[in-house]
Amino acid sequence: MKLAYYPGCSLHSSSVEYDISTRKVCAALGIDLVEVKDWICCGSSPAHQYDDLMSVALPAKNLAMVPQTEDLKQVCAPCASCYSRLKVAQQRLKDDNLKKDVETVIDLKYPDDIEVLHMLDVVTEKAGIEIVKEKVVKNLAGLKVACYYGCLMTRPPKVTGKKQFENPTQMESLVEALGAEAVDWNMKTFCCGAAFALTKTDVVLELTKKILTDAESSGADAISVGCPLCHANLDGRQTQINSKFKTDFQTPIFYFTELMGLALGIEAKELGILKHLTNAEKFLNERALV
Amino acid sequence: MRIQSEGAAEAMKVVKQENIKLDGSFAQEIAKLSGENVFLCYQCKKCASGCPSRMFMDSTPTELMRYAQLGMVDEAMKKNTIWYCVSCQTCSTRCPQDIDIAHVIDTMRIIGQQKKIKSDNNKLPLFNRLWMTMIKYMGRAYEAGLVASLNLFSGKPTKDMALGMKMMKKGKLKLWPSFRKPFATMKMFSRAKKLKK
Repeated sequence: MKLAYYPGCSLHSSSVEYDISTRKVCAALGIDLVEVKDWICCGSSPAHQYDDLMSVALPAKNLAMVPQTEDLKQVCAPCASCYSRLKVAQQRLKDDNLKKDVETVIDLKYPDDIEVLHMLDVVTEKAGIEIVKEKVVKNLAGLKVACYYGCLMTRPPKVTGKKQFENPTQMESLVEALGAEAVDWNMKTFCCGAAFALTKTDVVLELTKKILTDAESSGADAISVGCPLCHANLDGRQTQINSKFKTDFQTPIFYFTELMGLALGIEAKELGILKHLTNAEKFLNERALV
Repeated sequence: MRIQSEGAAEAMKVVKQENIKLDGSFAQEIAKLSGENVFLCYQCKKCASGCPSRMFMDSTPTELMRYAQLGMVDEAMKKNTIWYCVSCQTCSTRCPQDIDIAHVIDTMRIIGQQKKIKSDNNKLPLFNRLWMTMIKYMGRAYEAGLVASLNLFSGKPTKDMALGMKMMKKGKLKLWPSFRKPFATMKMFSRAKKLKK
């Protein structure tokens, strides 16, 4: 299977381990990822609240580059924000007037037959849970994981097309296929405040604390995520949360691709897990997963 | 008893029908820019109940919809409400009237930024301007530069310094931006500007 790959800006910088683990896991599953030619930023958090036309034109330009990347028709994005912006653009571009304007802006023909996938869709639906299960060499038994989806992987369903958007279970099935236990918890689609990470950090700390508290009280040892912004907040800001709220969180946060990589027998170091800021290395050592 | 009833009689007002006016121009402006009809809202409060950020807001999203219906522009635009929306899409997902509330709020933010309406805006206009400028000239976001310039311009140069150092140590922050065919994005922005005129 060959797919166009849209890593997005975060995966080239603050969440480089998501990029590394995604590529490694896909290679192990026989999925060939080809980076979208000359991709640009999707407009992420600012475009849709600043410039409506550009918020559609930026992702549209990337979608228009997909067929120019080895003639592909499917593109996958590991970042939930990129995924959402690409999907929103597709939805909005059903309007012919807007499409005309956007085509003028991007100076390319907009292709309306591109399939946009989140990386979780790729491994659970395109490759399939069964295939993943067959490839598991190191069972993650004993690991209790809270699967965290955040906002944009499932919401709004009109855009994502997801049937289970309040209580998704895709990641749970995946984690269980790897041998780990997926705990039942409440905050799986609660917002971490991602868009405010830099501007209003207090909001982020408050919301993220709620997520960490619920995961802990549901008996999870670790949280699994599929979004670089969720990861940055949950993993990177635990020290700040602990000092602000006098808590003692030491919850390791893994990308689902990292958990997959570990189960598929790839070394933690090769997956980039050692780049995490909270407790990942010690945690894996204790469980003999390194 | 007597005093109370007298008071009540005094407080009673007679409202003249010609004084009851509804200014729909704000709602129309929102509809024109977003395609969303705020008059569909019947105040069920589902958006307010699900909003993770409501505790930080001056008004709830439900109240915001009402302000938009009644043309109460100042209540909607000069309070912090629209600037505390985290764009999590919960309200838009749950609205029984299928109003994309997050899109309405985005539209109010765009109006607020264009008209330069002063409010407790959470530095978001600055954040937006910096990031969009980065896309325009570099094609991609440059995280280290974004954090540094945002903190600098908002007068908190040392904010998140410890976190930044830790990230740098782990190789999670690129120090130099990558320029990806910047002329392509600059042309896109200038074509969009021409189109809007």
